[in-house]
Amino acid sequence: MVPVLLLAGCNSSTTKKKTDQTPDQKGASASASKDPIKIGGVVSKTSASGYSKADTDLGAKARFMMANDAGGVNGRKIDYIGSEDDGQDPARTTTAVRKLVQQDHVFAVVPVNTTTIGGSADFLKDNKTPYIGWGTLPAFCNQEYGMGYNGCLVPMPGGSVNTSWPGLLTAILGGDAKGKSVALVTQDTDAGKFGLRTYQQAFPPSGFTVSYGKSTVPGTTVPTDWSPWVSEIMSSNNGKAPDVVVSIMQTPANIGLFTALKRAGFTGVLTDATDYDPALLKQASSKEALQDVQIFVQNMPFESDLPEMGKFKEYLSKAKGSPVTEWNQSMMVGWNSADLFLAIAAKAGDNLTVESFQASAANFSDTYPLVGDRKFPVGRKDSFGCGAMVQLKGDKYTITAPYKCYPTVPFK
Amino acid sequence: MSELVGFIISGLVTGAIYALLAAGLVLAYSASGVLNFAHGATAYLSALVFFELNQGLGLPAVPAALCTVFGFAPALGWLLDRVMFRKLARLGETPQIVATIGLLVALPALGLWVVKLLTDAGVDLAKAENQYGLPGVGPSPAKHWKLMEGVGVDSDQLITWIVTAVVAVALWILMRHTPLGLRLRASVDSRTLTELRGVSADRLSGIAWMISAGLAGAVGVLAAPLLALSSVDYTLILFVSAAAAVLGRFKSVPIAFGGGLLLGVVQNLVAGYAPSWTEKITGFRTSVPFLLLFVGLLVLSRSKRSAGTAAVDAPPPDYLAGMSPLRRWAPWLAAGVFLAVSLYTWTTAFWIGLIAQGLAAALVFLSFTVVTGLGGMVSLAQATFVTASALTAGLLMSHGVSFFLALVAGTVVAALLGVVVALPALRLSGRMLALATLALAFLGDQVLFQMRWLRNGDSGWSIPRPVVGPVDLNDDRALALALLIIVAVVVVLIRNLENSASGRAMLAVRSAPPAAMASGVSVVRTKLALFGISAGIAGFGGVFWASFNTRITSTEFTAMNGLVWLAIVVAAGIRRPQFAVVAGLTFALFPHLMEEYVTETPQVPVILFGLAGLALAGNPEGWIVQMAEAGHALRARFAGTPAKSAGHEPEAPVARADVRETAPTPSADAGVLLRLRGVHAGYGGVDVLHGVDLDVRAGSILALLGANGAGKTTACAVAAGLLAPSAGRVELADTNGGFRDVTRLSAVRRARDGVLLAPEGRGIFPSLTIDENLAMWLRAPAERDRVYERFPGLAARRKVPAGSLSGGEQQQLAVAPLLVRPPKVLIADEPSLGLAPLVVEEIFRFVAELREMGVALLLVEEKASEILTVADTVAFMSVGRVSWCGPRDEVDEHRLTAAYLGMALDGGAVADEVPS
Repeated sequence: MVPVLLLAGCNSSTTKKKTDQTPDQKGASASASKDPIKIGGVVSKTSASGYSKADTDLGAKARFMMANDAGGVNGRKIDYIGSEDDGQDPARTTTAVRKLVQQDHVFAVVPVNTTTIGGSADFLKDNKTPYIGWGTLPAFCNQEYGMGYNGCLVPMPGGSVNTSWPGLLTAILGGDAKGKSVALVTQDTDAGKFGLRTYQQAFPPSGFTVSYGKSTVPGTTVPTDWSPWVSEIMSSNNGKAPDVVVSIMQTPANIGLFTALKRAGFTGVLTDATDYDPALLKQASSKEALQDVQIFVQNMPFESDLPEMGKFKEYLSKAKGSPVTEWNQSMMVGWNSADLFLAIAAKAGDNLTVESFQASAANFSDTYPLVGDRKFPVGRKDSFGCGAMVQLKGDKYTITAPYKCYPTVPFK
Repeated sequence: MSELVGFIISGLVTGAIYALLAAGLVLAYSASGVLNFAHGATAYLSALVFFELNQGLGLPAVPAALCTVFGFAPALGWLLDRVMFRKLARLGETPQIVATIGLLVALPALGLWVVKLLTDAGVDLAKAENQYGLPGVGPSPAKHWKLMEGVGVDSDQLITWIVTAVVAVALWILMRHTPLGLRLRASVDSRTLTELRGVSADRLSGIAWMISAGLAGAVGVLAAPLLALSSVDYTLILFVSAAAAVLGRFKSVPIAFGGGLLLGVVQNLVAGYAPSWTEKITGFRTSVPFLLLFVGLLVLSRSKRSAGTAAVDAPPPDYLAGMSPLRRWAPWLAAGVFLAVSLYTWTTAFWIGLIAQGLAAALVFLSFTVVTGLGGMVSLAQATFVTASALTAGLLMSHGVSFFLALVAGTVVAALLGVVVALPALRLSGRMLALATLALAFLGDQVLFQMRWLRNGDSGWSIPRPVVGPVDLNDDRALALALLIIVAVVVVLIRNLENSASGRAMLAVRSAPPAAMASGVSVVRTKLALFGISAGIAGFGGVFWASFNTRITSTEFTAMNGLVWLAIVVAAGIRRPQFAVVAGLTFALFPHLMEEYVTETPQVPVILFGLAGLALAGNPEGWIVQMAEAGHALRARFAGTPAKSAGHEPEAPVARADVRETAPTPSADAGVLLRLRGVHAGYGGVDVLHGVDLDVRAGSILALLGANGAGKTTACAVAAGLLAPSAGRVELADTNGGFRDVTRLSAVRRARDGVLLAPEGRGIFPSLTIDENLAMWLRAPAERDRVYERFPGLAARRKVPAGSLSGGEQQQLAVAPLLVRPPKVLIADEPSLGLAPLVVEEIFRFVAELREMGVALLLVEEKASEILTVADTVAFMSVGRVSWCGPRDEVDEHRLTAAYLGMALDGGAVADEVPS
C-alpha cells in the first residue's frame, strides 16, 4: 500500500502542476488571439420544492447577447454556453461546477444562482475561476474569486448590516418611523434565526421598535394553519397589532401568513422580500394574499422607465426568441451577474487573463443604474445597500418607494 | 378560550389531510403488507394532474378533481400494484421499503418529465414550477367566514372537512357493510384463508391499492392550495401522517383516521402554547411531528420479531461457491486495477473528480452493507451520520486539529450517534425501525444540525485535504487512488467481519434472535455493534466525501439524500460490499454518462435511480446479481449444460405414462371427485412428496395418517392449490365423468370449483365477528340463519369477534357454514388438533354428516385412534410416499405401527398402489 501511495504522491505533483497550468493556459491562449470568452453558469432550474430559478439563464444569455451585439468586451465576443441545472442538490452542484471548469474550460462561472454553491467555492478558488451570482450566501463573501452582483448580502458579526429595507419602509410611512412597531417573522432554522438577528439590529436605527421577533415557523413544510402565529402577532404590540409585519420567509409561507393576518383584521403594513413576481398574479388567491403588500426589491423594479430597463426587456425577448412580457427576479440575477462580469472584464483591458480580471475586480467601482453604485472590495463584505419598494395594487405592481441606496450600520 | 377553539378548529384541517393520508397508508398496508413510502409522492402526482387538468387544459375545478380522484389516482394505484406491490408483498421487508422509497424519488421526477414531454409535443400545459396560491376545488380566492372573535373558516377548509367526513363515512360503510369490505378485512386477518374461501387476495390488494391511491388523490387535490406543487412537502406530510398510522398500529383504519385529526390539533396546540424556552431550541417546532412519530413508534409499535427482517430473504445461489478465493475475487481485483490504471492514463480531470466522488460515496455506501446487508435492519439515518462526522471533523480542524485526528474523532462521534439511533432497534424491526430511523434523521437535520456552534452558519467548515509526506491528496488523482485503496481495505474488513464470530453472531441475531440468545449471543450488544460499526463507516466515509469538496455545510447530506442512497445501494445489491462500491461509482458517474450520451433532461437519471428500486420486485438481490445470473445462464447455454432452474428436476417420463394409463378408466374411478397422481412437491427445491397418488371419493372419508413430517400437510396444500407440485397432476372430476387437470389452478379457483381446505389450526378470521366469518362462505343471510338455528350458541354471539371464542367454538364456527352449503371436496388438516375429546367427537360427527351429504372428504390426522372410527379408506404416508392404502377394515395394529415407524409392509405390496 505504501509504495502505491508514494506512486500517487509522485504523480500527484505532476498533475498538480498541470492543474495549476489550466487557468494560465486559458489566459495565455486568450491573450494570443481574439477568441471568444467562454462563460457558463450554475442555476437551480429544478428543485424538489417546485421552485425554479431557470430564468436566470435567460437573463444572462440576454445580457451577453447585448454585449456581443455591441462588439463584445474589448473586441472579444462572449461564448455563453448556458447554465447547468443542479436541482438544488449539493452533489449535483459540485459536478456541475467541475464540468464547467474541467470539461468546458470556462473562463468564469456566471451566473451562479443556487443555494448549494458553498461546497464548490474552494474548488473554484483552487482552479482560479471567477464566479458571480446573487450574494445571499457566504460563498460570495470574502472570497478571492467569488462576487455577488450587488455585494455580499450575508452580514458578518463585527461587520455591518444595511438598512435599505427599514429605510424604504420609513419612506412609505411618511418619512418617520419613530414609535412605529414592527414584527419580524422568520423560520425555525439556524438561518432564520440569523436573519432575525440581522433585522433586529437593522430596524431600530431607523426609529422602529421591534415588538415581536420570532423564528418559530416550521422550517420544512409550510404550516397549513397560521392561527398560532397570527394570534401572537396580533397582540404583540402591548396587546395591539404592530404597525408593520416583516416576513423574512419564502413565497408559500408569505401567502399563508398574510392571508391569515388579513383575515384576523390586520390593517398595517405587510412586507416581504420575495414576492415580486408577476407570475404570482395569475392565481387569484396569491394575488389576493399579496394585495397591498409592500415588497422590498434589491434590483431596479421592472416598472422603471430607465433606458437600461428598456434594454433589459428588449434583449430578454431577443434571447428568448419570443416576446417576454413577464419579468422576474431570476432574470435580473442573471442579467446583473453578467453585467458585472462584463464591466470588470472591460476594465481589465485588452489582455484579458484571469490575473487581469482579478486585478480589475480587486479595485472596482462604477455605477450601473439597475444595481446602483458597485464598489469592490467593499462589496466583498457589504451589500451595496440599494433597493426599492413595490406594492401590489390590483393587477400590477407599482413603485411605492423609488430605487435608492442606504447606509449600513454596525452588526454585532 | 376562543383562541383554543380556533387552534382546534383550524388544526382539524391539517388533521384532515393527515387523516386521509394515514387511512390510505393503513388500508394498503393491511391489505398487502407493503408500507408505501411513496404514498406522499402519489398525492403530489395527483396534485400535479389536478393542476394541469384545471390550469393547463382548462377543465373546471370540480370535474378536474373528480378525474384526478376517481380516474388518475386509482389507475396509478392499480398499475403500481400490478407491476410492483403485488410482487413485493411476497418478498422480504428490505426490498419492500427500498422499492417504495425509490418510487418516492421517481414518481415526482416522472410527473415533471411527462409534463415537459407533453409541453414539447405541443400540449398546452401550465408550467409546474414556481406555482403558488393554487386554487382548490372551491372558489379562488377562498371565501372566509368569521365564526367568532379570532375564529374563522374558509371555503377550502370547509371543503376539506366535508370531503374528509364523507370519506370517513364512505370508508366505514365500505369496510363494515359491503361484501368487499368484509373480504378486505378478512384478507388482513389471514390472506391464505381468504384465498381458501375462493376470494383472490391479489384482487383484493389491487382494490385496496386503488382506494388507497384514490385517498392520496383526494389529498393532492385538497392540499394543492396549501402545499402547491412541492413534491418534498407532500412526502414530508406523509411521514408526519405515519405517526397517525402508528397510532392505529397500521391495522385500524378508523384509529389511524382519528389519529390524523388528533395529530393536526396537537401540532397546532404545540405551535400555539409551547413554552417560550422551546424557542431557544432551533428547530424544535419544526420537528414536533417527527418527535411524535418517533415516540409513537417506540410506545405503540412492538414487533413480534425483535431483530432484523431477514427470515424471508434466503441468499441466492452462489455460482462461485466452489471456486478458490483468488478466482472469486479475480474480477473485482481486475476492476480495481483497471480503475487505478485508468486514473493515470486515459481519464480526464473531470472524470477523475467524478471517480473520486464516487469512491467517497462508495465508502459511505459500504455502511449499508453492514447494517442492512449483514444486520437485516433498514437505516434511513446514514446521511445523519455522515453530516455529524464531517461537521465534527470540520469543527476540530478549525481549531487546528490534524486531518487524521479529526477523521478519527468524526468516525467515533458517528459511531456513538449510531449507537443512539440503534436504541429503537432494540424494540423495533423492519419498516417500523426504518420509520424510526427516518424520524431521527429528520430530527438531526432540523435540530442537531441547526446548532450554530456545530454547523457554523451557511458557510460550514473547511475540510482541507491531508498531505502526508510526498502524498498530496489535494490532487484529485491521488485522492481517488487513496480512496480506492481505502475502499478495498474496508471491503476486505467487512468480508472478514462477515466470516468472523461476530459476523456469525450478527447473522444469528438477524434471522432468529431467540435462538441467538439461547446460544449465548447478546442481541442487544450485537445490534448496537451493527449500528455502531455501520455509522462509523458512514462517518469515516463522510469526512472523505466532505474533503473532496474541502468543505462541509449542514445541508450537504440531508435525510432525503440518505433515502436516495439507500435506493441506489439496495438496487445494486446489499449482500456484498463490492456491490456498494459499484453503487457509489454508479451514483457519481451514471448521471453524467446519461447527460453526455443519452439525454440532458435532469429528471431521467433520477427516474432511473428510483425505478432501480422497482427492479427489486423482480429480483430482490439487485441488478448486479441479476446480471451475473443472466451471464451465468448465457454461459451455461453456450457450454451446453442446461441451466438449473430453481431446483425443479425434470420429472421421470415413466411415472407420467403410468398415470395417463390409469386416467381414462371411468369404472375404476366411480365416485372419485379429486385425485392426485404422481405428485412431487416440496419447498425451496427440496422435495417433500416423492410421487403421491390419492383418490378422494364423494360421500366417503379418506383418512391420511402418518408420522410427523411424512408430508401430509404438504399433500393437503397441493390438493388445495396452495402449493404447486414440481411434478404430477391434481385432477378434478368434471360433469361428464372425465377428469380435468387443475394442477395449475390457484387455491382461489379451486375453492370456486368446490375444493375447500380447512387448514391446520383454526380456519377462522379472528378479527371478524362470527356473523362475518360465516358470511365469508355463506353470502345469503338466510343461509347464515340456518347456521344459527342449528347452533344457538353462535347465534347469541353473532357480533362477537371470532378470536374471542374457545378453541372448540372456533372449530365449530369453521365447520358450521359447510354444513349449510357443503363443498364438493373438503380437505381438513388436523381438525382435532388441540381440542378436548368431547369437542373432537362433535367435530367427527360433523364430518360424518358432511359425508352423508355426499362431500368427498380428505382428513389428515396424526393421531389415528379417533379418525379410524369414521374413515372409509385409510392411507398411510411415510417419507413423502403413500406406503399403504386400503379400506378401514383392513387396518390393524400391525399396519399402524409399521406406518408410523416407516417400515416396509407385506413385502411392499401396496406402495403406490391405488385401491379401487
